[in-house]
Amino acid sequence: MELIFRMNIFQSVSEKITKLHRHLNILKVRQPLFYETVKFLLFSTVIILIIAPGLKGLNYRWQWYRLPDYLLLKTKTGISAGPLLKGLSVTLFISVISLCLTVIIGFATALLRLSESITAVFISRVYLELIRNTPLLIQLFLMYFVISPILGIGRLPSAILALSLFEGAYTSEIIRSGIISIERGQWEAAHSLGLPKGLVYRLIILPQAFRQVLPMLASQAISLIKDSALVSTIAIYDLTMRGQVAISETFLTFEIWFTVAAVYLIINIALSQIIMIFERRLKKVDL
Amino acid sequence: MNSKITGDTIISTKNISKTFSRDIKALEKVSLEVKQKEVVVIIGPSGSGKSTLLRCLNGLEEIDEGSITIDNTPLDGHHHNRLKIRTEVGMVFQNFNLFPHMTVGDNIRIGPRHVRKQNQAEADQITDELLKKVGIYDKIDAYPRQLSGGQQQRVAIARALAMNPLIMLFDEPTSALDPEMVGEVLEVMKDLAHEGMTMLVVTHEMGFAREVGDRIIFMDEGKIVEENSIDDFFDNPEEKRSKQFLSKILHNGGC
Ligand SMILES: Nc1ncnc2c1ncn2[C@@H]1O[C@H](COP(=O)(O)OP(=O)(O)OP(=O)(O)O)[C@@H](O)[C@H]1O
Ligand SMILES: [Mg+2]
Repeated sequence: MELIFRMNIFQSVSEKITKLHRHLNILKVRQPLFYETVKFLLFSTVIILIIAPGLKGLNYRWQWYRLPDYLLLKTKTGISAGPLLKGLSVTLFISVISLCLTVIIGFATALLRLSESITAVFISRVYLELIRNTPLLIQLFLMYFVISPILGIGRLPSAILALSLFEGAYTSEIIRSGIISIERGQWEAAHSLGLPKGLVYRLIILPQAFRQVLPMLASQAISLIKDSALVSTIAIYDLTMRGQVAISETFLTFEIWFTVAAVYLIINIALSQIIMIFERRLKKVDL
Repeated sequence: MNSKITGDTIISTKNISKTFSRDIKALEKVSLEVKQKEVVVIIGPSGSGKSTLLRCLNGLEEIDEGSITIDNTPLDGHHHNRLKIRTEVGMVFQNFNLFPHMTVGDNIRIGPRHVRKQNQAEADQITDELLKKVGIYDKIDAYPRQLSGGQQQRVAIARALAMNPLIMLFDEPTSALDPEMVGEVLEVMKDLAHEGMTMLVVTHEMGFAREVGDRIIFMDEGKIVEENSIDDFFDNPEEKRSKQFLSKILHNGGC
C-alpha cells in the first residue's frame, strides 16, 4: 500500500518536473533574449559585488555629469563636436585609410610570396620578418623620427604608413593562407579553360580564398583600429590622445578612460556585426 | 571500322618523358598520334601515367623531353602557345572541379566570356544550348553543391564544351560517381563521340570503350605497352601484360 502511494508521489513529481522542464525549454526557445539578459544581469551583479568594496576604498569622486562637455561643445552658434568626438574622427580617418592601404599591401605581399621569382619571395620575406619581429611602437617611432624626414612626409602620413605596413604584414599571411587553401583541382580546371593567370586569380581563386579568410580579415581590421591608439605617442590627436589631454585637465580619470574604452568597443562591435551579416550573405550564396 | 576518321593528325607526341621528384618516371618516351574525330581509350594500372599523359597534353604538366604538337601548334615553352592549346583542348576531371562559388550557368559562361571574349548574349545562348544538351537546363541557377555527382560531371563537360574545343580529354570521368549515375555521364560522352569530337578517354568502362572507341592504348609504368583496335585488344591482346590486366578488370566486374 505504502509502496503504491510512494510510487504515485514519485510519478506525479517526475511528471511535474518534466512539465516544468518543457515549460523552461519553451521559454528558452521562444525567448533566448530574456534568458541571456537574466544571465547577464546576474553575472554583472556578482562582478559589481566583488569590485564595489575596493572602489569605495579608493575614495574616487565620480563626476559623470562633467563628461558631456568633452563629447559635445555648446557654443554660442550651436553645438559642435567636443574633444573626444574630434579625436574619434581622427581615429576613424586613420583607420579607414590604413585599412585600405593594409589590404593593398597585404595582397601585393601575398602575391610576391607566392610568385616564382626568387627576388620577389626574398623581398617579401625580409619585409615580413622585420615587421613581425619588432614592436609596432618602435616601428612607429622609426617611421616618424627617421624615415619621415627622409621622405619629407608629415605626422599623419607617417602614422598611417607605419600602421598600414604593420597590419599589412599580418594581412598578407592571412591572404596567402586563403590562397593556398584552395585545392589544386580549382587551379587546374581554371587553367584548362585557357584563362590567363590574372583571371585565374581574379575569377576563381581570390573569391574563394576571400570567403575562407573573411573572419580572420575582420579580426585584423579590429586589431588595426585598436593598434591605432599608439599614434597618440607621436602627438596625433586621436581618440586616445584627446582622452589623455582631457584627463590631465580635469582629473576625470575613470570617467574618461571608461568612455574612451566604450567608444572603441562600440566601433569594433559594430564592425564585427557588419562583417558577420556580410559573411552570412556570402554563405547563403554558395550554400 | 574507322570510316569516319579521314582527317589529319590533330595530336602528335614524340618521345615525351616526365619524371617527378625522386626518380618517379611517370612517362617514358611516349609517342602517340591521334587523328581528327578519333576516340582513343586509355587504360592501365594505377600509377601507369595515364593522368600524367592527359595533363601534359594541355600543359598542366610540363614535359622534360620530347615534343607535343596539337593542331599544328607546338606546346613549347611559349606562354602564348600554351594558352592557345588550352582553349582548343577541353578537360574533364575525375572530381569534376566545378567552381563552387558560381552558379552552374556562370561555370559554363566563364570560358566564352573571359577567354573567347564573346558578348553576354552569345555566352548565354551557348550556355542554354549546352545545358539542354546535357539535360540539366533546369539547374542553370543552382550551385554545384546542390547537384548530384552525375549532374556535376555533366556540368563540367558542358563547361569544357562551351569553349568549342577541337579535342576533349576525359580523366576517369565516372570513377568518382555512384554506380547509378555512371550511365547518364557516359550517354553524354557517347553523344559527343557520335558527333565526331576527337576524344582521349581514360576509363575502365569497357562497355563504353567497345561502343564508341576507335582505338585503345594500354599503358604500364609510363610506357605505351599495346596500341590496338578495340575488338582486337579485347578478343586477342598482343601483349602478355595486357592479357593479365584485362583478366584482372574483367574479373572485378569491370564491364
Ligand atoms: N604531382 C606529382 N608529384 C609527384 N609524383 C607524381 C605527381 N603526379 C603523378 N605522380 C606519380 O607519377 C606516376 C604516374 O601517375 P598518374 O597519376 O599519371 O597515374 P595514373 O595512371 O593516372 O594512375 P591512376 O589510375 O591511379 O589515376 C605515379 O607514380 C604517381 O605517383
Ligand atoms: Mg589518374
